[in-house]
Amino acid sequence: MFELICNVLLWLGLLYAYCFNVLEAPIPDRVARNPYTLKPDMWPKTIIILLLICIALNIINIIRKNKNNPEFSLDALLSIRARMCMGIALVVGASFVLEPLGYMVTCVLVLFLYGLLLGQRHVIRLALMSVVLTLVLYVVFSVLLSVNLPRGTIPELRNFSLYVEGIVSSVKSAIF
Amino acid sequence: MTTLELFTNGFSVLLDPYTLMMVVFAIVVGTIFGALPGVSATMAVALGLPFTYSMQPIPAIVFLVAVYCSSITGGSITAILFKIPGVPSSAPTTFDGYPMAQRGEAGKALGIALGSSAIGGLVSALAMLTLSPQLTQAALSFSPSDIFAITFMGLSILTCLDSKNILRTLISGLLGLLLACVGQDPMYAVQRLTFGNGELIAGLEMIPVLIGIFAVTEVLKQTKKRETLKSDEGTASVNTKMPSFREWWGIKWVLARCSVIGTIIGILPGAGATIASFLCYSTETKLSKHPEKFGTGIIDGIAASETANNAATGGAMVPLLSLGIPGGNAAAVMMSALVLKGVQLGPLLLVNQPQYLSATFASMVVTNILMVVVAIGIAKVFAQILAVPYSYLGPIIIMLAIIGSYATNMSIADVKIMAVAGVIGLVISACHFNSAALILGLVLGVICEGNFSRAYTISRANLVTMFSRPVAGSLMVISIILLVWPVIAQFFRRSKEA
Repeated sequence: MFELICNVLLWLGLLYAYCFNVLEAPIPDRVARNPYTLKPDMWPKTIIILLLICIALNIINIIRKNKNNPEFSLDALLSIRARMCMGIALVVGASFVLEPLGYMVTCVLVLFLYGLLLGQRHVIRLALMSVVLTLVLYVVFSVLLSVNLPRGTIPELRNFSLYVEGIVSSVKSAIF
Repeated sequence: MTTLELFTNGFSVLLDPYTLMMVVFAIVVGTIFGALPGVSATMAVALGLPFTYSMQPIPAIVFLVAVYCSSITGGSITAILFKIPGVPSSAPTTFDGYPMAQRGEAGKALGIALGSSAIGGLVSALAMLTLSPQLTQAALSFSPSDIFAITFMGLSILTCLDSKNILRTLISGLLGLLLACVGQDPMYAVQRLTFGNGELIAGLEMIPVLIGIFAVTEVLKQTKKRETLKSDEGTASVNTKMPSFREWWGIKWVLARCSVIGTIIGILPGAGATIASFLCYSTETKLSKHPEKFGTGIIDGIAASETANNAATGGAMVPLLSLGIPGGNAAAVMMSALVLKGVQLGPLLLVNQPQYLSATFASMVVTNILMVVVAIGIAKVFAQILAVPYSYLGPIIIMLAIIGSYATNMSIADVKIMAVAGVIGLVISACHFNSAALILGLVLGVICEGNFSRAYTISRANLVTMFSRPVAGSLMVISIILLVWPVIAQFFRRSKEA
């Protein structure tokens, strides 16, 4: 059932894109008037038409195959595990909070919470590992590879990131 | 200067202990950079640049060439062990490398990846030294319709990737082609399919999508499997046993074909290692006696993509050295570094500064040989990471995915794209679509559309003229046969069974 719903939603989404969203800016006049040029919407529209045909065939196939399948119902959707949904929420959430919270806080939170989600029961050890790994990853990417990791936009958290970075850079200058 | 003199001069340069030490250092740096997600070969060469500021031209060339070659190889390590392609060209390596690592054959998979990379690199280095002018002229005579035909041939794998689910695989490939349209059209920069989101105007960056679909999806799948996560011990037994001579002998033709194809693709401007590895993977799937085993963890698949992407590194050096035209982004960074060192790239290089050409060639040969030894050591260390409990490893992979996506352009939008790609990967898997086909469409989509548009305009909208060139015409015929054959074969099989 999940597969059927996804296919139907995809079909409708593509139809919407075909009708309203393939081009979001007008085609320049010289391009529109030139008969020897491929218009910017031609390639995506051709792909969408092919997709609409293929997905329609796939929907027919799914319905035909599951005609006499008692498990082919909306109840099957409930089998999607809550843990996986929490995993998705964590990953998507992390991508949104990375900018306001900054790398340091986001990394500690992701390592700790995802660790718990994956069944780690030694909470203190996990918390310590999260902090240590955050610093290790920071040193590898920010210090060694000069990647400017986000510091956060919330003033307190930004100051915290700057404080930790200050400690790391003084350790670095003491070593080198 | 004759080819033999270039050969001997190049190796005499590398006999200097300082230069040799630089090669080893560059291999270590390049392999680690390549293995880190988000650090592409271009970024690895750019990060290696500051090391060369105080060097003489020859050690600088040797250093950068070694970083370039080894970073492409390094990408395969994380592709095999964690399903995170360190560089985009290692994406096809995950199809067979990761299943092998899951079976406890990580050592064999890594051995094949590193050995194949070395062979591909050596063949392309030899091609670079001996056939540079001829190969460059041949590559420059390729028209947009020829390049479109080559990429279309790469797409013809779609019906072969999963012969039991041809329709779903086709849908996946078409979805990939559609995703490649997001952003601006390649000819007139007209905004398409962004749904009003300004962050999508530049199009979808390849690395975040690859990391999302491969690495994040895998961790999310593991999150669902509660029973596999109970253990606080390591999740996989790590076998670092290397492949046998018999296994190498069994893939000799794969290595030969992919070395040649990879070198040629590398020479083509705008193509590069990613296209080469996908194209060779698709070619080998077609030519294999057991195409159904591709994607389940066989050494042929790893050898195909890894031979090709390293062969493309040598190929990319051909137009760079003989014409001063960089074949890809990494070659462009190399070019700027070489110009800084006073190297006159172009036809006069062989006349005025042959020592630089010979140094480049010799460093490629030595790097590809030494790389196997050095990278195996690094890979063995990485392989031990598999023994870390998944409750630690999973979150680390998620964080590496986030940092890797961010590091590509220092963009939060790329992190969001990666997260969405991870969820899409999960839906694709649940709907029995094919993520490999989607990636293939995404990788080849931009180059396919761009060259089709150019060829269409050049031929004044006449498709017959467009494919009347011998290369384009014959490749299109072959591609259509390859594309349609599995469908016809399935039809015949069904009617026979009926």
